[in-house]
Amino acid sequence: MRTLFVMAALLLAAQAHAADKSLLDAARKEGRVAFYANITAVEPIIKAFSVDTGVKADYTRIASPKFVATTITEFDANRLSADVVQAPVPVLELLKARGILARYPSPAAAGYPDWARKDDTMTLFGIEYVGLIFNKEQVKAADAPKRYQDLADPKWRDKIVMANPANHPSTISWLIGLKETVFKSDAEWMKFVQGLAANRPMFVASFGPTPAPVESGEKAIAISMPKYIITKAPAPLDWARLEQPLLGTPRAIAVTSKAPHPNAARVFVDYWLSKKSMEMLAKDVGEYVLAPGIYPPVEGMSTARVLPIRELSDEEIQKWGGEFKKIFALK
Amino acid sequence: MEIRIRGLSKHYHAEGKTIKALDEVDLTIPASEIFTLLGPSGCGKTTLLRCIVGLESPDAGEISIGDEVVWSKARGIALPPEKRGLGMVFQTYAIWPHMNVFDNVGYPLQVRGVDRALVRERVAATLRFVQLEGFENRPATKLSGGQQQRVALARALVAEPKVILFDEPLSNLDAKLREETRKELKAFLGKLKITAVYVTHDRVEALALSDAIAVMRAGRIIETGTPRKIYFDADTQFVADFIGRANLVKARVRSQESARTLVECGLGTIACERREFGAGAEVTLCLRPEFIHIVPGEASGDNVVNARIDSRVFVGEAYEVELRAGAEVLLARIDPDSELDIGDAIHFRLDPAHCLLVSS
Amino acid sequence: MEKSRAQLTWSLVAIVGFLTVCPVVMLALGSFSQGLTAFGDLTFDKYVQAYTDPALLDVIVNTVIFVLGSSVLATVLALFLAYLNTRTNIPFKGLFTVLSIVPMMIPHLLFSVSWALLLNPTNGMLNTLLKNALALDAAPFNIYSLEGMILVEALLDLPVAYLIIAPAMASFDVALEESSRVFGAATWRTLLRVTLPVLRPAILAAFILGVVRSLASFAVPSVLGMPGRVNVLATHLYEMISLGFATDYGKAAAVGMSVLVTSVTLIYVYRAFTAESEKYVTISSRGYRPSVIELGGARLPLFAAVAFLSLLMIVLPVAVLLYTSFVPYTMVPSARAFAAMSLKHWHDVLDDPLSLLALKNSLLLAIGGATLGVLLSVFVAYVTVKVRTRASGILESLTFLSFSFPGIVIGVGFMWFFVQTPLYATLWALLIGYIATYLPYGVRPMASAFVQVHSHLEESSLVCGASHLTTMRRIIVPLLVPGIVSAWILMASMFIRELTLSVVLSRPGTEVLAVQILKFSDDGLWGKLSALGIIMIVISTTLVIAATFVGMRFKAADN
Repeated sequence: MRTLFVMAALLLAAQAHAADKSLLDAARKEGRVAFYANITAVEPIIKAFSVDTGVKADYTRIASPKFVATTITEFDANRLSADVVQAPVPVLELLKARGILARYPSPAAAGYPDWARKDDTMTLFGIEYVGLIFNKEQVKAADAPKRYQDLADPKWRDKIVMANPANHPSTISWLIGLKETVFKSDAEWMKFVQGLAANRPMFVASFGPTPAPVESGEKAIAISMPKYIITKAPAPLDWARLEQPLLGTPRAIAVTSKAPHPNAARVFVDYWLSKKSMEMLAKDVGEYVLAPGIYPPVEGMSTARVLPIRELSDEEIQKWGGEFKKIFALK
Repeated sequence: MEIRIRGLSKHYHAEGKTIKALDEVDLTIPASEIFTLLGPSGCGKTTLLRCIVGLESPDAGEISIGDEVVWSKARGIALPPEKRGLGMVFQTYAIWPHMNVFDNVGYPLQVRGVDRALVRERVAATLRFVQLEGFENRPATKLSGGQQQRVALARALVAEPKVILFDEPLSNLDAKLREETRKELKAFLGKLKITAVYVTHDRVEALALSDAIAVMRAGRIIETGTPRKIYFDADTQFVADFIGRANLVKARVRSQESARTLVECGLGTIACERREFGAGAEVTLCLRPEFIHIVPGEASGDNVVNARIDSRVFVGEAYEVELRAGAEVLLARIDPDSELDIGDAIHFRLDPAHCLLVSS
Repeated sequence: MEKSRAQLTWSLVAIVGFLTVCPVVMLALGSFSQGLTAFGDLTFDKYVQAYTDPALLDVIVNTVIFVLGSSVLATVLALFLAYLNTRTNIPFKGLFTVLSIVPMMIPHLLFSVSWALLLNPTNGMLNTLLKNALALDAAPFNIYSLEGMILVEALLDLPVAYLIIAPAMASFDVALEESSRVFGAATWRTLLRVTLPVLRPAILAAFILGVVRSLASFAVPSVLGMPGRVNVLATHLYEMISLGFATDYGKAAAVGMSVLVTSVTLIYVYRAFTAESEKYVTISSRGYRPSVIELGGARLPLFAAVAFLSLLMIVLPVAVLLYTSFVPYTMVPSARAFAAMSLKHWHDVLDDPLSLLALKNSLLLAIGGATLGVLLSVFVAYVTVKVRTRASGILESLTFLSFSFPGIVIGVGFMWFFVQTPLYATLWALLIGYIATYLPYGVRPMASAFVQVHSHLEESSLVCGASHLTTMRRIIVPLLVPGIVSAWILMASMFIRELTLSVVLSRPGTEVLAVQILKFSDDGLWGKLSALGIIMIVISTTLVIAATFVGMRFKAADN
């Protein structure tokens, strides 16, 4: 039985290799691949891809609020140049619903958790993980929050910075994620949210501006992303080791249905999901990736529990955005 | 070159009202004459000039310069100003402040692509003509008002235009300079034998400069004629009053005689230059102050009127006095060395040739 | 004459209309369409939803205070500086030019962040300094407030206002002032009763541009307003757009439509106020050298005021930028911070081939775009000032159309439009979009210069036999050199840092500087952001010096 398994695996691998070869040739014939992504700082992977495969990759960075608008506008006008798209799962779901995504279960995702291949169009490869980042010169590790509930402690009054929970989708999703996966009851969660609001956090537009006030000492702690500990080194940032899991919206990648370079697109997705790329993503950018055994070089992250937030509809996000706007409306 | 204007109209719309700037104007401006459009401000004279030069488009009518129709509503002809080959002196002179005198004057030739050497030669000649020899390299803004005026004239003349147009060119000069420049202008234009159209509201300028004058009012031409005709023999009260100072006396025609028309008025019975009015017609007797002659001593006879001096003002070359005769007060001029004073009783005589009757 | 003017007017209406109406029409379509694109079934839901939002009233009140406050402040400061510079014997006049131009080159995002570093209530550098010096319990200033937003936005709009007012002030006919003095009015009275009323077109133009700009401004409301929880229209729109993943730009456009209506109304009001432009004709042939007013004892205090203002507007923010580009992360200045300084951010930015490509593209767009933009502006300004027909009124409103649409929305309008054309994803799309959106930056300074050129100067050229084009080239343009230089500088330095359109229309190969900036800002990399910001300032400065030099040469050549 076991032998049979190994043989089958070998056979599959050989087949895969042959397929790889012809796919790569076809991709080289196509010459280029266009990649739309909301993830930043991935130029090294793009460069490595071109060197390793001989296919030129063009990376267009499109921020989340414009991602859906741009891709569907281009698609409707038959002008979508993207062969591969990368965005948070809810965004790709919207594109999928409009028939913009093609079916492509990449063999490179073989070792990924089952939930990473939720269907055969998109592959989840990382989590936009949210954590509590503090200034280790101002806050001793022992004083850092141990549980999310600690953020509601009045000692953090006027010392928190976070993205505006009335309009930042990732923060809204994160708060709902806490409600559904971390807190025991809705009442306990609501108490936490109200306590957080009572601490009068400073609001900024997105995660990007959250670390700066912590680095400079304007604020002590941020609801932010642990990856900044890598990208902003040597800033005195550390993350609060909580007993509860970290949460984040999953990131996914997919091939488009009318891709001008369909073979290059597949080669690109395979390359993107490969160990090499994922290692670069984790090491250089501090991303939390789903490739087995690869962790961002943030101390203690390899043992942390990081969970994906369930996919939220826009209606839910809007509804909760409105709720949070009321709860946090303190002057 | 002759300018013919037929049925020219131009209306403006402002604040819901329509203003007739030009109302069916018919006019022929004879070649090689200085022709003046005279009238109070707002009478349409500048509009007419701007229509001739092409800076404004009439609503109806036709304009031809020489043999060429430059504007015709009916025939759809609208030659732009730059194609009409005219010269013009603006009220503000419109000397370009960023150019020197040479470029200002040479401009019309330069834009016609005339050879550089020729431009230099012609500019020098024209500057000599306007007595600005050697001013070529002066910045235009460093000139006096009179000099700027002459630069403007040189610029208008340099390309030897068919017609030259003047839009109140002397109104920005002081009185003395204005008089000098007027004489110069007359001399320049006299030498050139060019058709000139001159717009002014100043009657002295009009009388002194023109070969012919057209008096305008409310967009219409009221009367056209030589300066003498307009001054002495105007057809309307408006023209008579506008062209010079005039005493206007209400009168009624009594009878027509062979060479005279007799009227009754506040001054008594006056024999006037004959005009065809029926007996009993209401007319206006128009008397110019300079033709009211005070008669020394006792006097009687036709056209002699008794009066008293009401006021006296010394104006240099004469006394201007107000004479009261019955209910009428007349303005007259008497010699500056006259002994007459306020309150004195006098007689004056009116020469029937200078007693002008116009319809009221 | 009138016919050719009408032809010119209507062809400009067609060109400008094509440039500015198309994206707005796409947005209008989007605001009435179901779904997420410009084409869908007719619906009024987006308007109903957008205008029944209970938060809207609060937002409108804040917006009105913010917009009026910053535009008034910017206009008053610009008048003050322009008057001192052009009409008095204040020392170091070169400083004014620098003062008027440098803040224009600083990306607004960075300028706002600098002020947050200086005046945030927790550890803002200036606040800390004052707190210690005066032994206060709390920070004296809070930049995260409506007042703070007004101050920073006014400083950002000041250069534009100055560049419009200063040339008008410089070519002012002194006789008007002199006559007022003769009739017994003192300097102050003359200023209030004669100088300012005569400059009304330029002042109003500066004010209205300020209103329109601050209505569309996003950097200040997002960096300073959001932490202070002061919501204005721009951040309200951002909230609508960012809430959820299926962004509905149609709904944002529905709100944008009322901003558009407000702006267009303002333009009409402006035209009504300046209807008799001939009244304000001031350059005539009789020389135009402004007289210099002796400041006497006020000379030094006034200079101190200007020096203080330049400290606020230039020295502090640029110093903060420089500092930020050298320290490894956001640090309060200290011995440790200075010890940690390095050129790392500079290396990172300069070693990036994308940055170099972006630099090349931005330069190309700035020089080409500003030149073409000014060329178009000369004709548009000519028509709006000298041909006062209904068509020219339409033209003037058209120039403001995409300009007055909130920035975060108009980019999508252009995308919806360009995707229908072969220009999509090319540099041409950026070039056309830039010119269309920032046309008022070209037209406004040109128009206030045009107002001052007497029509006789132009007419006499026509009578002399020159064509309209020759007249434009030889008479009008040379008289307008100061206006042209202002317009070119405004447009070029705007195009160097343009973000709202670029971020939507830029594609691989057509990257521009601002898109790089945004990428750094999304990752919170202020150090690299500052380094790139300083590079932008250096480029803009070079362009400004070049433009001023060419302008001077051009003027000198004709004298």
